[in-house]
Amino acid sequence: MQGISSRDVKAQQRPVPSGKPFHAQFTDVAKQAGLIAPTIYGGIDQKKYIVEANGCGCAFIDYDNDGWMDIFLLSGTRLEGAPPGATNRLYKNNRDGTFTDVTEKAGLTAVGWANGVCVGDYNNDGFDDLFVTYFGQNRLYRNNSDGTFTDVTKDAGLLESGPARWGAGCAWVDYNRDGHLDLFVSNYIRFSFEHAPVPGASSTCNWKGIPVNCGPRGLPAGRHLLYRNNGDGTFTDVTKESGIAAATESYGMTVVAADFDEDGWPDIFVACDSTPSLLFMNNHDGTFREEGVVRGVALSDDGMEQAGMGVGIGDYNLDGHLDLFKTHFIGDTCGLYRNDGKGSFDEMTRAAKVGVETSFTSWGAGMVDLDNDGYPDILFVTGSVYPEVEKKLPQYPYKTPRVLFRNLGNGTFEELETQGGSGITTPHSSRGCAFGDFDNDGDLDVLIVNMNEPPSLLRNDLNPMRNWIKFKLEGVKSNRSAIGARVLVHFGGKVQAQAVVSQSSYYSCNDPRLHFGIGEAKEVDVDVFWPNGLHEVFRKLSANRLVTIRETVGVIPSKGWKS
Amino acid sequence: MVRSGLGRICVSHSSVTMHSILGSCVRFLLLLVVVQAVALGQSGQQQVVVEVTSALRQRDFDGALKTLESALQVSPGNPQLRVLQGIAYSGKGDKKNALASYRRALKDAPDYLPALEGAAQLEYEAGSADAIPLLEHVLRLRPNDSTAHAMLAATAAKSGDCATAVKHFAESGEMLERQPDALRVYGVCLLKLKEDDKAVGVFQELVAAAPDDARARRDLAAVQLSAGHSQDALATLKPLLDGDTEVDTLHLAADVYEANQDTPNAVKCLRAAIVKDPKQIPLYVDFAEIAMNHQSFQAGVTMLDAGLKLQPNAAQLYLARGVLYVQMAQYDKAEADFAKAEQLDPSQGMSAAAQGMLAEEKNQDNPDKALARVRAELAREPNDAFLWYLQAAIISQKSPEPSSTEFAAGIRSAKHAVELQPSLTAAHNVLAKYYLDSGENALAAKECRLALEGSPSDQTALYHLVQALRKTGKTDEIPELLKRLAKARQDAAREEGERNRYKLVVNPAGAAN
Repeated sequence: MQGISSRDVKAQQRPVPSGKPFHAQFTDVAKQAGLIAPTIYGGIDQKKYIVEANGCGCAFIDYDNDGWMDIFLLSGTRLEGAPPGATNRLYKNNRDGTFTDVTEKAGLTAVGWANGVCVGDYNNDGFDDLFVTYFGQNRLYRNNSDGTFTDVTKDAGLLESGPARWGAGCAWVDYNRDGHLDLFVSNYIRFSFEHAPVPGASSTCNWKGIPVNCGPRGLPAGRHLLYRNNGDGTFTDVTKESGIAAATESYGMTVVAADFDEDGWPDIFVACDSTPSLLFMNNHDGTFREEGVVRGVALSDDGMEQAGMGVGIGDYNLDGHLDLFKTHFIGDTCGLYRNDGKGSFDEMTRAAKVGVETSFTSWGAGMVDLDNDGYPDILFVTGSVYPEVEKKLPQYPYKTPRVLFRNLGNGTFEELETQGGSGITTPHSSRGCAFGDFDNDGDLDVLIVNMNEPPSLLRNDLNPMRNWIKFKLEGVKSNRSAIGARVLVHFGGKVQAQAVVSQSSYYSCNDPRLHFGIGEAKEVDVDVFWPNGLHEVFRKLSANRLVTIRETVGVIPSKGWKS
Repeated sequence: MVRSGLGRICVSHSSVTMHSILGSCVRFLLLLVVVQAVALGQSGQQQVVVEVTSALRQRDFDGALKTLESALQVSPGNPQLRVLQGIAYSGKGDKKNALASYRRALKDAPDYLPALEGAAQLEYEAGSADAIPLLEHVLRLRPNDSTAHAMLAATAAKSGDCATAVKHFAESGEMLERQPDALRVYGVCLLKLKEDDKAVGVFQELVAAAPDDARARRDLAAVQLSAGHSQDALATLKPLLDGDTEVDTLHLAADVYEANQDTPNAVKCLRAAIVKDPKQIPLYVDFAEIAMNHQSFQAGVTMLDAGLKLQPNAAQLYLARGVLYVQMAQYDKAEADFAKAEQLDPSQGMSAAAQGMLAEEKNQDNPDKALARVRAELAREPNDAFLWYLQAAIISQKSPEPSSTEFAAGIRSAKHAVELQPSLTAAHNVLAKYYLDSGENALAAKECRLALEGSPSDQTALYHLVQALRKTGKTDEIPELLKRLAKARQDAAREEGERNRYKLVVNPAGAAN
């Protein structure tokens, strides 16, 4: 992410504006929604160590199964000790545009350097659980089905021994298709305050000639882990026998698990900072082989390492395959990778005109349809990791705007610098973000973590409204959360793929209800490829509603919906 | 800044004329003829041979020729007598007739060794390629003839055929060990063949033979540096660095220190060299290069300013300063420097490329403007491969559709660049990218391989080759390429760290430290 990994890539020339109106407008309603507690994360004016700089993620989670998205926000601490109020926070959705902080009541008060969160029902009891990564001990919170959670890390066999690890990304993934969610955890660097170099100590501790926090280059890389769910609430570390341990050392960050080669088995993509990103392909026998470089998602188009941090997943070109979007450091373009359906990717960054933007250090991202026109757009959040730099070099501010690319429907995107509203243009130093429909109004809103500020909740006021449809999947033989399911929605002669994943963006988890904008289409046909291999087809489903589908059962009543 | 060992070593091939090899050769030739005559047991001829030999030893060449003239009237086809005649003519300095005598002997007796050696000697001395078949003939008859091997090696080296030269030098044995100039040529040839470690061994022999010879020591250090043994190079140079060090030694020492990640001493050496010889332009250019590598652009500019005060007409210094100004985004100053360089030395042909590069940097958000400037430079320098590459690269950055005319123009430009300069790795890479984009994966693979011939660790070429092979389904080679790519990445990361390790600053007096 940092230091010398900046590539100074030339931005692509901006094409002539299309002149088309963009109907989604984003307004930050966090304050009026009651999301007022700042996300404490390291120093405000200076970051001495990289631990303070990377920040954390957030999640949309319906923890009480009322059909309304609640919010879970991670938090860090400070080198000198946690200030009052520094904790992860759970906010219950009041179904009126506001939220109530239920952290303490839910038993989720926790202080530390939290990084990533992934949401999934690991014990198949019908309630989503939480796994949170830390610099230090990661934590598994079991949802007790009564509005409270219990830290079951120890009972689950997930307590770590030895020096503190830097848990980064995580993903629930049923890699062996036994119906129980297993757990993949990426680790960033091996770090200790005792041995960490200080700003200016070496070449990896300077940026633009200014001493800054060191790393990740120059620091030893982390080791990624795979835990198999034993089906009894416990896990077994299978990192070695699964082949995960054989991967090259890398500074692992966000994890996305999905079936990229469409063979019915989930694969695992890890965005890596300053090292090649990793793509673990599932061998169907409990093992993986790492093929990121060969499959075209590990390096830049010219074969160079990039600072991979956040990941968006979606089908930007409507070919029915899951593409990837990866965010990078300032001075580099983000990367757009087109999947050929066999799990091999071509970098389309410049061809898709996404290469026009290199001005920001970029984090959480989504490839999501924000204006319901049927074409997934791209939104990512940004923010520098060096608050001390802007005092000497004002051209590198700490707080920077969000970046919105509208999908033009012809394989290219157009950056909308001002058309997305104040929620897009207002600068923050943001990290994780999650996409979901918190107000159940049929468009996608955005929850964003801001460093040492309250979060942003960007309400999407889409006007005029276009048609849409959402799918909530419930596994029966498959894991209950249906994580790993791939859905193809056919509408108006087009097809779009999406997948149920437990982490994407940056260390964050989106609304598990898959949201498809369908433009002018009134109904859709749907293919559901369940995690356990079952393929089900549903025809002529009418638009503008949430459709809940239970595996082998079919469409069942949805919870919490207005209509 | 580190040049190849070859660049550092100045060897005059003409100095390897093997005079001393030939001196011993003549004496040997005479002895051989006598021995063979005795062995033949022909009493009349034996008497002639004895007389002629005696005359030759007394350097009475005319007497020898007179005796031979009579004998040859009796035995015109006698090769021994013809060889003695050749030796006598040689002694008189009449090489034309000497060669004619040897050739006549060979006509009568094609495998007659003394005649072969005599003729080869004369052809070799004349620098004629006709020496080669004669020497090869000698070696067919006497494969271990170290003199013939040495002469063949020297001849091959002179004609630039280092592969043949190295083969024969290796067979020259003691003959080579006694000849420092020949040994140096051997070492240079090994370097040309990229057999760096063997070259180091050869130059070590030279230093061992003359430990106080500064030139031999610099040669060895340069070769060690080229072979990647920078610490050995430093140890080799150390004895020369005490006291009043020569400028050439300081210049090389700067390279060696930099390779050893000791930038402060590299800078110190260059500064000392500049003080000693402030008019030597390459010293300033090297300083600028260090400054650039360490992103200390202003320090480089300051030093070049100092150089330009003394050498106001040095085009190279303007060019180097222009490059630094580009890095500092001071495009107007860069443009002025490039123009001045062009004005001062239109023949160097570098400023057109520099102007093109400047146009690309200056117009990052306006590739059409950059293209217009590059095309203007191309109109002035239509055979500049770099400009054709630059044009292809700028078009490629625009990501034109493969079916578009712009794409076709880009691919044509890239093709022209590699035609003009097949060693231009970046041009092969951009051409490979065009082929990848248009789905011509086999052609892309071919261009990647050409790029890798010149730059075996080029990450872009390795990566594109992996992608091209993957798309063509020829995956056998991929695991090995992935290993190479991983190694190249590690090396590049380490080198980048080293470059960023040290910064040059400008002190208040304006001199760079």
